[in-house]
Amino acid sequence: MQAAECTWTHFEMLRPFCFKSPSTTPLFFNFSKHFQKGYSDSSFFRSNWRISNYPSFMATISSVSTHKDPVSTHDATPNITHQPVQVAKRMEKFKTTIFTQMSMLAIKHGAINLGQGFPNFDGPDFVKEAAIQAIKDGKNQYARGYGVPDFNNAIAARFKKDTGLVIDPEKEVTVTSGCTEAIAATMLGLIDPGDEVILFAPFYDSYEATLSMAGAKVKCITLRPPDFAVPIDELKSTISKNTRAILINTPHNPTGKMFTREELNTIALLCIENDVLVFTDEVYDKLAFEMDHISMASLPGMYERTVTMNSLGKTFSLTGWKIGWAIAPPHLTWGVRQAHSFLTFATSTPMQYAATVALQAPDSYFAELKTDYMAKKAILVQGLKDVGFKVFPSSGTYFVVVDHTRFGLDNDIAFCEYLIKEVGVVAIPTSVFYLNPEDGKNLVRFTFCKDEETLRSAVERMKEKLKKK
Amino acid sequence: MEGKLSSVAKNFTPSPIQELSQLAQRCNAINLAEGFPDFPAPPCIKEAAVSAINNDFNQYRHVQGICDQLALKMKKTHGLDVNPLTDIAICCGQSEAFAAAIFSIINQGDEVLLFDPCYETYEGCITLAGGIPVYVALEPPQWTLDPEKLMRSFTSRTKAIVLNSPHNPTGKVFSRDELEIIAEGCRRWDCVAITDEVYEYITYDNQKHETIAKLPGMQERTIITSSLSKTFSVTGWRIGWAIAPASAASTIQNIHIRITDSAPAPFQEAALTALRSPIEYFETLRGVYELKRDFCMKLLGSVGFRIQFKPQGSLFLFAELPKDCLLSDVEYVEELIQQAGVVVVPGRGFFHGNESCKYQKRYIRVAFCKSEATLNAAAQKFGELINAKACPKIVY
Repeated sequence: MQAAECTWTHFEMLRPFCFKSPSTTPLFFNFSKHFQKGYSDSSFFRSNWRISNYPSFMATISSVSTHKDPVSTHDATPNITHQPVQVAKRMEKFKTTIFTQMSMLAIKHGAINLGQGFPNFDGPDFVKEAAIQAIKDGKNQYARGYGVPDFNNAIAARFKKDTGLVIDPEKEVTVTSGCTEAIAATMLGLIDPGDEVILFAPFYDSYEATLSMAGAKVKCITLRPPDFAVPIDELKSTISKNTRAILINTPHNPTGKMFTREELNTIALLCIENDVLVFTDEVYDKLAFEMDHISMASLPGMYERTVTMNSLGKTFSLTGWKIGWAIAPPHLTWGVRQAHSFLTFATSTPMQYAATVALQAPDSYFAELKTDYMAKKAILVQGLKDVGFKVFPSSGTYFVVVDHTRFGLDNDIAFCEYLIKEVGVVAIPTSVFYLNPEDGKNLVRFTFCKDEETLRSAVERMKEKLKKK
Repeated sequence: MEGKLSSVAKNFTPSPIQELSQLAQRCNAINLAEGFPDFPAPPCIKEAAVSAINNDFNQYRHVQGICDQLALKMKKTHGLDVNPLTDIAICCGQSEAFAAAIFSIINQGDEVLLFDPCYETYEGCITLAGGIPVYVALEPPQWTLDPEKLMRSFTSRTKAIVLNSPHNPTGKVFSRDELEIIAEGCRRWDCVAITDEVYEYITYDNQKHETIAKLPGMQERTIITSSLSKTFSVTGWRIGWAIAPASAASTIQNIHIRITDSAPAPFQEAALTALRSPIEYFETLRGVYELKRDFCMKLLGSVGFRIQFKPQGSLFLFAELPKDCLLSDVEYVEELIQQAGVVVVPGRGFFHGNESCKYQKRYIRVAFCKSEATLNAAAQKFGELINAKACPKIVY
């Protein structure tokens, strides 16, 4: 009789729990006209469901619907009159317009896609085989809510190797459906409505979205070209005893900036002084090219107030597996696990077994990963420079941000549309990564997580067709 | 640091359930507690997943084919017209679909009606979104719905009602009349029905699951959530969905993208195979589980239980302790672990009523989604106890 592991995860959670009523008035959005007017895009637009403010908006649609006519008896153009299913006020920011258009254009014009933030090559065989073996071995039922024990152990071992910190895999590691969910669970589990949270713009767009879901008050500090350095004075005047948390993404999407030790030290001191939590998104930590990646949690006095988040996807080119994790001291882990248990309950089981194998990959795997990406980066960066973009230095991630203004378009969105239609290449307009879109209008983001031929072809197209004004 | 803990953290108290769970592990008990199978998933579906991994379906994706299949199913099974391009969001399990549905429509202070007893997790989601759970007790022993009690529970602040049918933990399948009553409440008070239909294909005695969405005036105000997990014995794959009017489905999709971004890609591919299963698959599923249900009822009958409510669906038997048994549910479960080496779930975790009803501590939930070997082993253990006549606390 196989030993049954009792994982009554949903019972382990205390109940009931209530958020204290916010001391500040919750933000009330006016009911968005957007939702009233509705999604007046035709159903063709909506065939690309993955359209959003999210960087991977142009995900492959694996099987296009063969239904020509919608089966629905619903009117495809929602009317303005009362609809029973009224969407919550907090959702008014969650729009999909710009990227719907971009994606449509991209497909229509057969553009080469350097916009989407995931590889067009696959992950390593040894990891894929481990997943296959797990499926065959019957590891297809609910995993323990906060992670398969072996995987938690592997995460702790990896963390020790990378940072020197020794952590308890049972109490300090939570496995989530990708780093995206780790972020959502951290925000929802540790942020109360009305709490102040500092974000650095430009930022990965799920941060703002989940902070909005948590009812937080967002304070934004903008990182500016050419080096996107942290404006220390601005930080000092923004952070206070009222600040609940600060979110740091390093290496940074979209700029490729890596927070330096000096910057992290300064932020750390301010956090300790003001008793602020730090949430770090370190998914690109293995794509650190120009300097060593530093985890905030490893700085003196910081582990106890930091949630360190990471994932499998970028390091192992398996972005669709959705395996991520959050590392934090027990009292913070507790909050993350609470939210996680209500968001997804458990993470995909066979992939966790495969991820265990992945994290134990030899140093040579990571060295080769870096070498490969550096070669790709060289092709793209040189290519972009040759084309005439002003290219900002990117120390990490597989992104590079450029100034497009030499080509005479008004803003980033106009430039991206032009790039798709006239040149046949896709980039991401960065204005969507800022609270104030104006801050991003001169910048667009390219990715080099593509095979070399794709990169070269894209560069060729741009050389041929993109002319300075 | 104390001041930095959220209000959530400050209310933590350990649960007796957790202690029982640990006890069960220590005793290596036979597991009739958790709602997932201990037998393998269907081979062709596993093969589909393996094939997907080998064929490089490993990056973020949205498999539109799943929506197409679901739309076909909705039409075939319920006569509902669903637009696969606009009305369906694929999520990481029904869990995420439900969470996203709640976040999509619940504002701070909105009330959400729930039937009691019910699955633990709904309340947490609702509270996380700033909503207020309001319980409407189903009345034992038949878990009947009192229409007046239900109507009295609606207020001007009620935004939604959660309907889980077939029902965890009782195994109740809401009848058409009951669905009409709930629908009437929704229409009258302009509320949304959020359904959890994960056991939709697991019904017994020729009972059919019906979705409330097909009732008049309901499709436009219903969000259906379900998943592959229970139907295809792949609870660890995290493939679920929400089916709703376009504006809600779109919002749910947008939330899902911010929470997890994508359901696991290879399993989305495998879902296509699963959803195309022939009708025989579902008939066999039902038949096999019905046998297991009957076996379990006999099993409990043999130790003195009088099962007053025969499960009409789901994978659970919710049984009241024998009249002569003076133990509480938790005590009984503890005894069962220690004396019989079998673990089940004390029912109190499913109740949330304000009423301090004694019956809330008198139920156990038994999961029968287990292999023959497991069920036989449990039967053997019970048999030993009965023969030994040495266990007055378990055998009645």
